[in-house]
Amino acid sequence: MISIGIDSGAATTKAVVLCENKITGYAIIPTGFDFRKAGEAAYQEVLSKSGMDETGIGKILATGYGRSSIGFADKTISEITAHARGVCYLIPAAHTIIDIGGQDSKVISMENGKVVDFLMNDRCAAGTGKFLEYTAKALEISLDELGTLAQLSKNPAKISSMCTVFAESEVVSLRAQQVKKEDIAAGLIESIIQRTIVMVKKLGIKPDVAFVGGVAKNPGIVKTLEKVLDIKIKLPEEPQITGALGAALLA
Amino acid sequence: MDKIVENIVFIKSLDLFKDAFPERIDQILKNKEEGKKIVGTLCLYVPDELIYACGVDRVILCGGRSAPIEAAEQYLPRNLCPLIKSSFGSVIDQKCSKTKSCPHFGLVDLIIAEATCDGKKKMYELLNQYIPIHVMDLPQKPENQNALEYYIKELESLKCVLENLTGNKITDAKLRNEIKSANETRKLLHELYELRKRDSPPIRGTEMLKVLQQMHFLSPDGFRKNLVLLLDELKVKKRENSGPRIMISGCPMASGNMKVPEIIENRGGLIVVEESCTGTRAFWDLVDENKELMRALAERYLKIPCACMYPNDRRIDQILRLAGDFNVDGVVYYTLQFCHGYNVEKYRVAEALKKSGIPLLSIESDYSGADTEQIKTRVDAFLEMLE
Repeated sequence: MISIGIDSGAATTKAVVLCENKITGYAIIPTGFDFRKAGEAAYQEVLSKSGMDETGIGKILATGYGRSSIGFADKTISEITAHARGVCYLIPAAHTIIDIGGQDSKVISMENGKVVDFLMNDRCAAGTGKFLEYTAKALEISLDELGTLAQLSKNPAKISSMCTVFAESEVVSLRAQQVKKEDIAAGLIESIIQRTIVMVKKLGIKPDVAFVGGVAKNPGIVKTLEKVLDIKIKLPEEPQITGALGAALLA
Repeated sequence: MDKIVENIVFIKSLDLFKDAFPERIDQILKNKEEGKKIVGTLCLYVPDELIYACGVDRVILCGGRSAPIEAAEQYLPRNLCPLIKSSFGSVIDQKCSKTKSCPHFGLVDLIIAEATCDGKKKMYELLNQYIPIHVMDLPQKPENQNALEYYIKELESLKCVLENLTGNKITDAKLRNEIKSANETRKLLHELYELRKRDSPPIRGTEMLKVLQQMHFLSPDGFRKNLVLLLDELKVKKRENSGPRIMISGCPMASGNMKVPEIIENRGGLIVVEESCTGTRAFWDLVDENKELMRALAERYLKIPCACMYPNDRRIDQILRLAGDFNVDGVVYYTLQFCHGYNVEKYRVAEALKKSGIPLLSIESDYSGADTEQIKTRVDAFLEMLE
C-alpha cells in the first residue's frame, strides 16, 4: 500500500511517500505565501522523485500549520502526533523529541510513538528558526555560516533578549562594542538553546533524545545542545521530514 | 477544517439566553426611569443577595470583547490582562456610552468593586474618575482566624453603602428571601451539571458557557426562569455528544470571549465542566439558610477559590474532585495573558494533576485572534493524545 504524508510548515513544505512501510521518496520545498500551492508542488515533486504517478496512491494525510489548506488530503493530524510517529519509526528508542522549526519549537515526550506530553513555545518567534534567520542577517552571514562560525568562539557573548527583534538590536550593540563575530554567533545559538532547555526541563528528559526540524541541520546547534544537556542526541538522516513521514505512517 | 458540526437536536431554550440582551437592556432602562438604582459588578466575591435585597438592579461589567481594548490602552499599560482592559474600555469609550447596545456607562450609578488582583485594584482608581466606586476589601488569607470576621465587616459596610445609595433598608426578611432564591438558582445549576456527568451529556461546554456568561447580566428571576426551561428541555430531549472529556480550569471567560472553548469543541473535544468564575465557582457552594444571615453569606462567598487567595489549596482540591466526578480525560488550563495569579498557580495545579495521572494542556491567550492557528495545533495534539 502506498501512502503520502504532507507536512505543510510555516517555512517549508515536506512530503514523504511510503510504500509497504518503506520511504520511497521525499521532497522539501519552501512554502512561500500559499500553503495550498506549496502542498500541491511538494506532492507532485515527491511523486516524480519516487518515479510514480497518481495511480495506486492510497491515503494522503496532511499535518503542519497549513494542514487545513491541503484540500486533497483525506485527513489532517497535528504535527506533534505526526513527529512522534515519524521519529519512532526512524529512532525506535527515542522517548523525547526536540523539534525546532521555522515558526515554533516544541518538546515532545512519548512512549512507543504515542505522545504522552508536550510543550510548545508561545506564539512569538523566540527560540525558533526565525530567530536565527533574523539574527544571522544582523551579522551579515548565512544561516549555515552562523553554526560554523559559532564553533570558533571561545567566549560566547551573552544575549539576554528573548524577543527576536530585540535580539537583533542587541547584536547591533555588541557589534558596536567590537565583540567578535564568532562570539556573537555562539551567543545567539546559546540563547536559542536556553529557550529550548527550559521546555525540556519542564517536561523532563528521557533518552533517547531525538532532534528534528530545520534547525537540527545546523551542526553548531546540535553540538551546543549536546553540551548543555550533557547527552548524546540522535539525529535522523533528514531531520526535516519526520512530520511528513509520521503523517504517511498514520495515513 | 473543523471536525464537529452543530448538534442536530436543537435546544430551543438556549436561545432564550442568547436573545435576552435587548430585552434586558430595556428592563434596566425602565428600572432606571422608575428611579431604581443600578450597580455594576466585576467579581463573584460581591454578593448579589445584598444588592437585590436593597432593591437595586445589577449588571456585570466584565469585558470579554477585544473592541474596547484599544480605547483602554490610552490609559492602561499594554501588558495588562485583557479582561481588565476590556472592562475599562467599555466604560470609558464614549462611543459606547448611553446607547442601547452598551449597558455599561451611563446606566450604572455605582460600581461595587473588590480588591482581588493588583491590575483590577489600580484600574478601579482610574475608573473612579468616571463612575463612583465602592471597593470592597477581601481578606486574602481566607483560612486566617480573623478573615471571616473581617469579611463580615466588609459586607456590613457594603450594606450601608447600598442603603445610602437607595434610601432603602436591607431587612432580614428581604435578605433571607434573596438568599433563598439565589440558592434555588444554584441548585438548578447543580442539577444541570449532574446531566453533564453522563457518558453523553445533553449540553456541550460552549452552550453551557453562553448560559453562564448571562448569569450575572440577566436579572436573577429572568435567569432562573430560563434555566428551568432549559433543564426541562435537556431532561427530555435525546441528544448525543461525544469526544474526549475536557475540564477547563483557570481565568473567567467573560461574555464575548469564546475563542478557546470553541476551538476545543470544534476540534472534537467535549467540555464537561469548567472550574472558573464562568463555571463552577459561580454557583458551587450554597449559603447556609439556617445560620445568621450575614455570617452565612460571608462563609459562602469566602469559599470561592480565586487565585488571588493564599494559600489556595481549596482550588486544587476542587479541581481534583471535579476531574473525578465528571470523569474528565484531560484538563485545559486557561489563563488570560498577564494574569499572574492564575499563571503562577498553574504550576501547583499541573503538579497535582500529574500525580493523579490527568493530562494537562496549558493555554495562555488574549482576546485577539492572532494565535488561533497555534492554539488549534496544541488542541489537536492534545485531543489526539487523549484518544
